[in-house]
Amino acid sequence: MIEVDRLVKRFGAVTAVDGLSFTVRPGHVTGFLGPNGAGKTTTMRVILGLDAPTSGAALVKGHRYDSLVRPLHQVGALLDATALHGGRTARAHVLSIAQSNGIGRRRVTEVLRLTGMEAVADRRVKGFSLGMKQRLGIAVALLGDPPVLMFDEPVNGLDTEGIAWIRQFFKALAAGGRTVLVSSHLMSEMAQTADHLVVIGRGRLLTDVPTAQLIESSTRRDVLVRSPRAGELAGLITARGGTVTREDDGGLAVTGLDAPAIGDLAAEHGIAVHALVPRSASLEEAYLDLTGDSVEYRAAHPQEVPSR
Amino acid sequence: MTVTEVPADQAVAVPPLAVRARDVLACEWTKFWSVRSTYWTLLIAVVTPIGLSAIVAAALAHQPAGQPPADPLLPGFASLEYAVLAIGVLGVLAFSTEYSTGLIRTTFAAVPRRRAVLAAKATVTGAVALVTGELVAFISFFVVQAVLGHLGVSLSRPGVPGAVLADGIILFVVAMFGLALGSIIRHTAGGIAALVALIFLPAVLGLLPAPWGGRAGRFALLDAAHQVTALHPATNLFTPALSLLVLLAWPAVALLVAALMITRRDA
Repeated sequence: MIEVDRLVKRFGAVTAVDGLSFTVRPGHVTGFLGPNGAGKTTTMRVILGLDAPTSGAALVKGHRYDSLVRPLHQVGALLDATALHGGRTARAHVLSIAQSNGIGRRRVTEVLRLTGMEAVADRRVKGFSLGMKQRLGIAVALLGDPPVLMFDEPVNGLDTEGIAWIRQFFKALAAGGRTVLVSSHLMSEMAQTADHLVVIGRGRLLTDVPTAQLIESSTRRDVLVRSPRAGELAGLITARGGTVTREDDGGLAVTGLDAPAIGDLAAEHGIAVHALVPRSASLEEAYLDLTGDSVEYRAAHPQEVPSR
Repeated sequence: MTVTEVPADQAVAVPPLAVRARDVLACEWTKFWSVRSTYWTLLIAVVTPIGLSAIVAAALAHQPAGQPPADPLLPGFASLEYAVLAIGVLGVLAFSTEYSTGLIRTTFAAVPRRRAVLAAKATVTGAVALVTGELVAFISFFVVQAVLGHLGVSLSRPGVPGAVLADGIILFVVAMFGLALGSIIRHTAGGIAALVALIFLPAVLGLLPAPWGGRAGRFALLDAAHQVTALHPATNLFTPALSLLVLLAWPAVALLVAALMITRRDA
């Protein structure tokens, strides 16, 4: 279990984490989600005792990380897969970290096999692709067979096969009763991997819910209607109890009436309908709604970009 | 994929301090010998001074008659100065490469007691530097005396074994000083620049006109080292015993500063 309690981390004038509290429970893959710069990596660094909190605390199984003895048996983490000495072989890298926690060569070979790195274990990591480095980092995280695992943006740089592999891997880890915290800035990724979501923006907690509940609560359902006599049809729909919102391109977004009802209504009055599309907001949109105000560097809306 | 179930009780027995110290040492030992820079810097630190000492000795052996006889231990010491840079860089790299690659975060996550990491790195680098230093010092000594012939000294002469041993200690001192600088500065180029500046610039102070040359130079690392290793110590500097203290104070103070800073900064 990981507990983050009113955590604040300032770097000079910049507040990276601003009073953040959440708990990561065992048996779940918890997605730690937020736009770039939201404070995810900083939070993970504080959990690992690498950065000292300005105030508040982060505890692993009730203890401060720096009080853990042989911490690799308690927490496995992958923060930055490229943080390697390029001249070292994969095996020497993993072995050195293993030795620091009294873990033997047999386990080193085992984690290299588990992550599919056995064949390249004696090559220098300099030539590794980002995907191979991710696997190597995961091998290190697994060394102590820890009950708590943390991964910072682990799918970055992985190919499709690698992403599928890592999803299965996280689920298997959680199914075995482990606590798994995985950060990402991509909602679509987390929707398929995590059963619970902790969403942050600008260092603050935005929501802390089961993934299914977030989808449920934030899904917007409506019907897109296009018609050459849109104005007329809008009046009829409103009269029948529907709510109409005009979209920029002339389409009507209708709630309160479903697609068959709208189609029938149009037919009754002989109004041609060019499009009748039931829509549900994606999780991605739910996430954008949630984090819209907390994106650190916002790109101009396409329409705001001056034309030449 | 096989992922084992988590045992209900994950209580890990706390191993004794000696076991934990051995673990961190094993980790740093593996790291030390698994990168090429170790072999290159050690090769330079061994070959350069031995080769140079033979050349310097040959020059001394053929100096014009009438000049006062030179210190027969000087060639060994003078050429060791060229190993100082290589071994100092070895020390700097022990920490600076971990900071520049970000590996230090993996290291500190595995060993949250950061001073244990500092101590283990210092032990591994220090032990290798000391063995290398003594090896170079004694090989150089025998090469130099062979070249000097009748101008040379024997190892059995009083004061000689101590001076040659002290030659070897210089490399240990510089490696420790470099290691501390790497930990404090966290940057390879910056660490090496600081190493060169702090070791070689104070030595220039010794060239100031008397009495300032001696007053300032006696605190310089290289002047103190020369004083410890010379058969006939200079009179305007500290005694050899005090100079040995000055020599050891350089890495001691730097390591102390490193130990104080290592827990205070975010990794």
